[in-house]
Amino acid sequence: MRILLVEDDEQLVETTARALRSQGWVVDCSARGEPVPRSLREDAYDLLILDIGLAGIDGFETLRRVRADGLTVPVLILTARDAVEDRVRGLEGGADDYLVKPFALTELVARARALVRRSQARTSNQLQLARLRVDQEARRAYIDDEPLALSAREWDVLGFLMARAGKVVPKEHIALASNAWDQGVSDNAIEVCLSRLRAKIEPGGVQLRTVRGLGYLLEEMPTPHG
Amino acid sequence: MAEGPRSSLQRRLFGWLMLPLLVALPLLGAALYQQVQGSAQSWLDDSLEDIALTLAGQIDLRGDEPRIDISATMDRALRFDRQDDIFYLVLGPRGEVLQGDAGLVEVQPQPQPRAAGRTYYGDVKLRGRELRLVQLGHDCSQGLCQILVAETLRKRDALQSEIAGLVALNGITLAVMLALAGWWAIRQGLVPLTGLSAELERRDLHRLTPLTAELPRELVPLQAAFNRLFERLGRAAGAQREFLADAAHQLRTPLTSLQTEIELAMLEPHDQRVDPLLERLRQRVVRSARLAQQLLSLARAEDRSVDVGQRIDLRDIATESGQDWAHRALPSGVDLGFELTEASALGHAFLLREALENLIHNAVSYAGTGARITVRCGTSAEGPWLEVEDNGPGIAPAERPSAMQRFRRGDKASGTGSGLGLAIAADIAARHGGGLELLDAHSGPGLRARLSLPPPPPDRAPAA
Repeated sequence: MRILLVEDDEQLVETTARALRSQGWVVDCSARGEPVPRSLREDAYDLLILDIGLAGIDGFETLRRVRADGLTVPVLILTARDAVEDRVRGLEGGADDYLVKPFALTELVARARALVRRSQARTSNQLQLARLRVDQEARRAYIDDEPLALSAREWDVLGFLMARAGKVVPKEHIALASNAWDQGVSDNAIEVCLSRLRAKIEPGGVQLRTVRGLGYLLEEMPTPHG
Repeated sequence: MAEGPRSSLQRRLFGWLMLPLLVALPLLGAALYQQVQGSAQSWLDDSLEDIALTLAGQIDLRGDEPRIDISATMDRALRFDRQDDIFYLVLGPRGEVLQGDAGLVEVQPQPQPRAAGRTYYGDVKLRGRELRLVQLGHDCSQGLCQILVAETLRKRDALQSEIAGLVALNGITLAVMLALAGWWAIRQGLVPLTGLSAELERRDLHRLTPLTAELPRELVPLQAAFNRLFERLGRAAGAQREFLADAAHQLRTPLTSLQTEIELAMLEPHDQRVDPLLERLRQRVVRSARLAQQLLSLARAEDRSVDVGQRIDLRDIATESGQDWAHRALPSGVDLGFELTEASALGHAFLLREALENLIHNAVSYAGTGARITVRCGTSAEGPWLEVEDNGPGIAPAERPSAMQRFRRGDKASGTGSGLGLAIAADIAARHGGGLELLDAHSGPGLRARLSLPPPPPDRAPAA
């Protein structure tokens, strides 16, 4: 995976780049926004990580030029400004996600991975989370290359959750995920389905967490520090 | 100023007003008494003189010797007075008694013969009694007759004390009325000052808008001076806020690098024995970064240019927060849940998010492992609210107010709390015209931090 990192704080560039490289990704760095559209056209990057506070043209302007060139590479914005207006401005300007400094390395890696995954899914219909892989077209799920035996409902729910991996999905939305459920499906039925699904997919290095009162969250099993 | 009883402007003005009055009133009273008394006496003297003139008219000069003949009826008429005894005496040119009370010659001091047509008034004594005497010289053919008329002082004494009483009564009445009117007038005059001070009482660093009250001309310079002071204060507070924001910004970038470096170091192959050290180091950096973030939040909560009047739903804010917290590694066994109902409000989404963030963070760091934390929002009769309840040790009611002050940490403080969280949430609530309360948990031990906002005005376009 190839990432273009645009950030003008030398220290931050160095540590961030090292963090991303430690994941086995290729990272190119730039301190200014002007050359970014050309770099993106010349090389096939999977992700652009863009700081807002740049010397010369700022991140917003860089982003605008990138999108104006018709480049669809996913963009993750880094910002020290945390005014909501800035985030909104970034997202409306075509960014896919944002991260406010200071961020934890693990969070940056997770966001980067999620963005790339989403963008790849748009082109290949394949979704990957840890060792769990879902083929939306074939309606099949695998851990490594081992196919999972899933009921139609379980498959619907898994496909729905995989497309929203890393986000908390409300229970009401899950109820709408499967046509196999009637409108008046009980909470209990959903929970039974989810607990069966959980048992089947968790060996794949993912976890399906319940966030009390909000919904369910499918994410990679965190690797404990140290 | 702080020592002794404070001097009162009202009392001082009143004193200055009453002092000349208290000096002038007795003087005026005395003068008035003198004048009234003088004219009353002269009226009485005139009536005595009338008697003397009547007697003079009765002197018969036709014979060799002047003669006077007073009938009994006339004598009664001359002596008629309801209060005083009247005495009279007519002396011939050689001092012989022509008519009347011969005893009058004994008055002290001795009456001197007076020239014709000259009248003398005097206070005299006759056998210990005080009398008022009128003496009139009258030209008789062989010389001068003297006519003496005297009366006792009962009428005069009564009149004197009546006049004195009336003057004193009116003087005192006047003094009391002036005092009351003065007190009231000063009080009325000072009302704008009271209004001004009430208005000043409502000012703080968040509310430094200029005073615009309609004031009397004399107070306008004071108001203007206050407004200039507010302006300077506002600028100073603004500069301080900017410095705080800048400092926090500047701190965050190196802290981010430091945090990343530590996390990288933990991923690199290394001696396992330094792991606890690295983890402690990481936690400290995370805590410092959070402190920088909180300082920034504080600066922003006090920034008056932030618009806290945007229409928002607290449920969205809590949901967004929930999305964020769902990703974070919570201490083992911490159960963070949400019970959210519609709560539309006016506010600034980022600030409220920051407040909630701090409340949740506070609950996580104080309630410890195994805590059950619930975020709720909703709308009550008083307005929209947001609360975070934990089942930790809680805070004793007596310590709650101080727990909301900056850099105060409760006794049970542990973990990563900076002591700013509740203060920030309280500041942000205040900035929105609401408040933060620390309450008991609904059941069992624990703390329930409740942020209430004022009710939003009704939506202009209500849902159909």
